[in-house]
Amino acid sequence: MIEEEIKPFELADEQWRPATGFQPLDSRVVSLWRVSYLIGFGVLLAVLLIPVVAVGVAEPRALLWPAFAWLALAGASVWFCLWYPPRLYRSWGYRIDAKVLETRSGMVFQRTRLLPLSRLQHVDIEQGPLERMFGLAALILHTAGTHSANIRIPGLEAAEATRLRDQLIEIGGDDAV
Amino acid sequence: MRSEPLAASIFEGRLHPLTIAFGLLKAARGIIPAIPLLLLGNKIYGFVLLAAIVASTVATALARYFSFTYRIEGNELITQHGILERKQRSIPLERIQEIRIEQGVLHRVFDVVDAKIETGGGEGAEASLSVLSRSEVERLRQAVFERAAKIGADAGLTDQTAGKQVAATPEPIVIQRLGLRDLILIGLTTNHLISALALAGAIWNFAQEHAPESLRRRAGNLLYRESSRLFAQDTASTIALVILGALVVILIGAFFSTAVAIIRFYGFTLSLANEDLRRRYGLFTRRSSSLPRRRIQVLKIEEKLFRRMFGLATLRADTSGSHREHRDDNSGRDVLLPITRRGALGPLFTTIFPDFDAVGTEAAEWRRVSRLAIRRGAIKGAIVCALAAAILFAASQRTAALWPLALLPLIYFISVANYRNMGYALSERYFCARRGWAGRSTHIVPINKIQAVEVSQSPFDRRLGLATLIVDTAGQAYTGGGPQISNLPLDEARAVAGALAHRASATRYVENRRLKIEDRGLKIEN
Repeated sequence: MIEEEIKPFELADEQWRPATGFQPLDSRVVSLWRVSYLIGFGVLLAVLLIPVVAVGVAEPRALLWPAFAWLALAGASVWFCLWYPPRLYRSWGYRIDAKVLETRSGMVFQRTRLLPLSRLQHVDIEQGPLERMFGLAALILHTAGTHSANIRIPGLEAAEATRLRDQLIEIGGDDAV
Repeated sequence: MRSEPLAASIFEGRLHPLTIAFGLLKAARGIIPAIPLLLLGNKIYGFVLLAAIVASTVATALARYFSFTYRIEGNELITQHGILERKQRSIPLERIQEIRIEQGVLHRVFDVVDAKIETGGGEGAEASLSVLSRSEVERLRQAVFERAAKIGADAGLTDQTAGKQVAATPEPIVIQRLGLRDLILIGLTTNHLISALALAGAIWNFAQEHAPESLRRRAGNLLYRESSRLFAQDTASTIALVILGALVVILIGAFFSTAVAIIRFYGFTLSLANEDLRRRYGLFTRRSSSLPRRRIQVLKIEEKLFRRMFGLATLRADTSGSHREHRDDNSGRDVLLPITRRGALGPLFTTIFPDFDAVGTEAAEWRRVSRLAIRRGAIKGAIVCALAAAILFAASQRTAALWPLALLPLIYFISVANYRNMGYALSERYFCARRGWAGRSTHIVPINKIQAVEVSQSPFDRRLGLATLIVDTAGQAYTGGGPQISNLPLDEARAVAGALAHRASATRYVENRRLKIEDRGLKIEN
């Protein structure tokens, strides 16, 4: 029914390296993620605690199930905060190959993004209060693209982020829209 | 008029005197409906208020005309207006993507136009010059683009021939002109059901606003009574009536969409002047725009079901400046060429992209995705069908509720069609991707316009060793997103992504493509 015409894939002039040589993020980012997830879940749990307490005050005998559910949720959150960040950390990597920056990320949905550095519009360094505590910084690379107009590399050591920014800009040159 | 607009001196211009008249007319449209309201209460106060409004309107129109100036100074186009508070806006010349011209019926009587200056960023037009005489717009356009080209040449970024090209401004070469037959074809191959629904919606809206309540109710009752009387007859005549009704709807839809196509695209001409693709079209409101072809980020060839059956296609293009101004933009800005024969596409590509080296839409260079795509598509569709059937069955407890399962062969057919249309082609300077099942759309991306490339894998993809390849470019407003190819074998996706990114990084984004590629595109440093 369908004529077979899949050709073997070959690219004559391109050097293509296997997906190795990726730089990992700074390993402190695991703790950073843990703390920030804990804060996020903590706020959520605190909000959820209000109805549980309300039930407890109004009808102490009906408290069992809501309290149980809340505790289960809290347990799951703590487990997630411990379990997920190292795996996310392992999924992350970046490398500079000739004039292309390549990042890979994602534990469940894995994405590899390639950014021709001559398309770089500008680079931001972002350091939130938590990141400052850990001495980390995120690099945000802006392109003129639509679908993924910026690429964020989190969890770089602050000095490394600055160095990487300078390197990327230097490779990229000045190619504006 | 200045004889040498290229000189470093200042190009200056003013709006056409009719600006005042058009300004007043526009204001009058707002004021006149309010007059009865104003005169309803105290007549004297009403008159005073009205006089004040009219006076301020006249003053605004006069002020706009007398204070509005524009000039080219250095590398910038500067517009300035306002008497008490001067507002000045400077637009870097090299950012100007397009000077778009609109000419309404009244504008045409006096041969003046609205000119809108568009740049790469922001929402809407950067500056609106309303109204200008036609010769003045031509002068402005020439000055802007020549000067921009000169700036580029001075910076050593464009190739040497640019200077010569600028010096001689040849007559535009007509690439394609649409006759009445083409316009009727556009109308006939539009989706009639949607046209008919749009027409019905418009009538309904009109009725709600303008027809009295009682009339509407009576019309509704009449329709309801008549239709229930008809349906009460025997089955055969009911079916015949339904078919007849459908035919009538399709006929009305076809007529309506043909009328719309003629009004919108009458006299459509696509021509090439130097580096600019120029479009002129419109029956009542005449529009024209010019688009430097190196600014095209993505070209999309759209073959919707009907058009594809007749071997017809629509061409759309995105520039880095394109963005939709309204949800449904009726001005036809989104299409580069509303209709063309598939056979004419090859020469068109080389006109739009002078260094086009990729395959045509029909060539055999297309590479397909993994055949697993068929299975995946069919399974996905089957799951949806099974779920729908299960829910319906659970709700009604009747075997007739299992009808979604009858769609399974259709789903398999769609998956196969999807697979056959999905593909990509990679050449030295262009990347082409296509997809679709009943209709088909093909994206052509100049590799030097690629901003980023992405390879993504869902958990299911990982199990099958497949991946999705996404190519990102600037300003994807009119082409519905860039190329996206799913179900590629992972190694192939990685290799293509790497090739695209490396080739893109070796080219300059804006400047003359051919020159740069010869310079350094072919040898990629390791």
